Amino acid sequence: MPRRVDLRTPALLGLPLGWLGVFFLVPIGIVGAYSVDILSIVPGSHSLTFAGWHDLFRDPVYLRLFWKSVEMSFIVSGVVVAFAYPLAYYLALSGTPRKYVLLLVLIAPFLTSYLLRVLAWKVILGNQGVINTFLFWSGLRSPDHPISQLLYSRFAVILVLAYIWLPFVALPIFVSLENLDRSLLEAAADLGASRWQAFLRVTLPLTTPGIVAAFLFVFIPTVGEFVTPSLVGGTTGYMYGNQITDLFGTGFPDWRTGAVLALFLLVVVAALTAVFSRFNRVEAV
Amino acid sequence: MEGEHDLAAHTITRRQLLKAAAAAGGAAVVVGRTGAAHAARAHLAAESGALQVLDWAGYEVPQLYGPYLKKHPGEKPKFTFMTNEANALAKMQAGFRPDVVRPYVGYVRDFATSGFVQPWDPRLIPNFKYLNPVMVKAGQYQGKQWGIPADWGFDAILYRSDKVKPKERSWSLLLDDRYAGRIAWFDDLNQLVWAGYYLGFKTPYDQSDEELKRSQDLLIKKKKNVRMFWSSETDMDNAFASGDIWIAFAWPNDWVLMKAKKLPVVYMRPKEGALSWVGMLMLGKGTPRYRHAHDFADAWSSVKSAAWLENNYGYGEANTKARPSSSDLLKVLQLANPNAVREPNAHIDRYVPRRRVYAKMWEEVKAA
Amino acid sequence: MDVALSRNGRRALRALFAAVVLFLYAPIVLLLVFSFNSSVLPTFPLSGFTLEWYRQFLSDGELHGALEASAIVAALSSLGAVALGLLASTAIARRRFRGKAALSALLLSPLVIPYVVFGVSLLLLFHTLGVQRSLLTVVIGHVVITLPYTILVLVPRLQQIDRALEEAAYDLGAPPRTTFLLVVLPLIAPAIVSSFLIAFTTSFDEYAVASFVVGTRNTFPIYLYGALRFPSRLPEVIAVAVVVLCASLVVVIAAEAWRRVAERRLVG
Repeated sequence: MPRRVDLRTPALLGLPLGWLGVFFLVPIGIVGAYSVDILSIVPGSHSLTFAGWHDLFRDPVYLRLFWKSVEMSFIVSGVVVAFAYPLAYYLALSGTPRKYVLLLVLIAPFLTSYLLRVLAWKVILGNQGVINTFLFWSGLRSPDHPISQLLYSRFAVILVLAYIWLPFVALPIFVSLENLDRSLLEAAADLGASRWQAFLRVTLPLTTPGIVAAFLFVFIPTVGEFVTPSLVGGTTGYMYGNQITDLFGTGFPDWRTGAVLALFLLVVVAALTAVFSRFNRVEAV
Repeated sequence: MEGEHDLAAHTITRRQLLKAAAAAGGAAVVVGRTGAAHAARAHLAAESGALQVLDWAGYEVPQLYGPYLKKHPGEKPKFTFMTNEANALAKMQAGFRPDVVRPYVGYVRDFATSGFVQPWDPRLIPNFKYLNPVMVKAGQYQGKQWGIPADWGFDAILYRSDKVKPKERSWSLLLDDRYAGRIAWFDDLNQLVWAGYYLGFKTPYDQSDEELKRSQDLLIKKKKNVRMFWSSETDMDNAFASGDIWIAFAWPNDWVLMKAKKLPVVYMRPKEGALSWVGMLMLGKGTPRYRHAHDFADAWSSVKSAAWLENNYGYGEANTKARPSSSDLLKVLQLANPNAVREPNAHIDRYVPRRRVYAKMWEEVKAA
Repeated sequence: MDVALSRNGRRALRALFAAVVLFLYAPIVLLLVFSFNSSVLPTFPLSGFTLEWYRQFLSDGELHGALEASAIVAALSSLGAVALGLLASTAIARRRFRGKAALSALLLSPLVIPYVVFGVSLLLLFHTLGVQRSLLTVVIGHVVITLPYTILVLVPRLQQIDRALEEAAYDLGAPPRTTFLLVVLPLIAPAIVSSFLIAFTTSFDEYAVASFVVGTRNTFPIYLYGALRFPSRLPEVIAVAVVVLCASLVVVIAAEAWRRVAERRLVG
């Protein structure tokens, strides 16, 4: 069988890698340049300075905001994974014949519009929104006392983000459970373990990579989230991503601080991803 | 200020439009009779291309410069939008050269010294003599007319009189613990300014480090009472109308809108003084459409355009002859008083020497 | 005996599943209900039936312009992403070379970058190069974002295809390009369509990155975000929301169903 000389791999990869190089890697480098004043929006001459980075660690305001966003993302990811696991378990292990159809039904909302689903909650949560007016109408609350913490609050951001991500998260956990070797569970049963014990000692440990993957799939995008907080967050739901957006567009432009904040987020995310892939590789049996 | 408006609610009847066009046409006939106008027309003929205007969303509506369209038929200005002055300056630094730009009065000096704009020649603006002299003065820097005043209004406090009983007529209402979760502030560094007035500083537009820290600390401490920082006016109107907020840092038009929705509202001028703002049309340096730009400013300054602005957007216009049809608006804008926008009645926005520091402090308030 | 679930366990989980599905779809159904409600404010109790908001949607020129802009951006960026993705996937699935793991990671890395960071980085790139922001800059950004999705769909499919078919073609003397066109391409066609659709729907709905690099012409999500702040436009926006949500649900489900059927038929 004639072996073709493999000249074409570089040609195949050249274009995609080139595109990513120019429109993905170079821009990140430019962000770095802005963060150290090599490039600047302020006219005049500039020299390399780490003052922006220095300020980030010296004045803890922005780091505290980052931590607040991390906390919120943690809650969202935790809640979402906690709900998604039993759902995926049901689909994968209950033996229901239509599991792929049901999986699709579960995932489909995620593939529709993000903004429109946030809009739906804006309609539902306001003082005159669906929940409150329903409570007035049914007499459970007087119209003078709506539950106002529903909208423009930290709670609203967490609720809406959880709603957005829940469908998506079921998938990696489902895959993990699908790949579970049923015979292991049977062996556990043979050895006298109850279903709970089998779950805790066999299923859960073996599907941990799926859980961790699912958790990170939500956590990483959510830390930098700014769209939902800007629509339903009010003052208490203000997140790290909003700060970055304000520094670049909507507020008084301070591109150096914005670049520092953006790069900091990227470094944290990259570190998390790297740690996770190492963890994942170790777990691969 | 952002002029995002609910245009769907403000339909113009054909009658009104035709009236505006007729008035503009009449004006053009009169002007054409003078010799100076002949020379002007010669200059005009030499300028070409559409007028490039860097303006706020909502101001691209043709009724705001009707006379311009009458004088230059078929030459619609081309609009690019700005969301704040600092961004506009950044755009211009990056090479964008509009013929006309509209910063607000606090930025007159910043733009005048930027090198991207040039002073106007008021002789080329026939309506100039009708403009409010206080506002005209505010548009001057080092004796030259850098800004032609156009839209204007106040920053004060709007509140629900049925739900809110202020302890005093003061900016303190925006800090009131009794109404936690019902208050809205404006997303802008000028919040540090009213905080400064509340704290009794001498020059809140130019606070020292200690003063700024105190203002910032006050805002951070009371932030827990604030439900939202609004940046889009209709966002705030929506929340106010639906009862999500009862107290807001607001403009006169918001009072008019809420009254129209039959809400019991009061537009309160704090005893420390309300703030006021004036939009300033500015002329791009080296613009090839010099006369067109002046005609544009003149069109904005016409009584018809001014009245339209007042009736439809609830802002005042610098032309002292323009009157809105709503008596409510007349009252709240204090249009009978030509000194309404300045001390002692209000604190007109002005140059903030330490604007960058103010901006940083405000971002920190939001992050805290 | 079922080793994974007891009967009660199954019942409990089934109930949970139903409850969650209800929770997921309820807001969408609520939007549907309110899109026919005659009041301007979406509140209970309902005030009356009307088709007015759909009528407004049909005659709103600005909205149509935004939908059109998004369609153009989505089509162009998906074509680009699929083309680049096909090239990259072929290399990954079919070739052995050093650093494959690292390069694959690089090609998939746009998946993990927070959109706020990527948006900012593109904004700075175009500002530094003096490139005017426009629909084209949005296309560029969307190609980067959707490229990993196309690769994730195409690589498994390429790996699935029995290489014996290609080898047979070579043996018969067919040059590699012909082999690709006549043997491989038809077999991966459903996957190509699938990846195109995923890229298309992702781009059509994308707001975060677009908000940083869009020019004067709005895309649909940008228009939507702005309209969310106009109270009297809310009912019309809700009508639009219902149409777009239902359309995308139908497209997604139909596409997935079709792909499964098509691939099962193209056994290979």
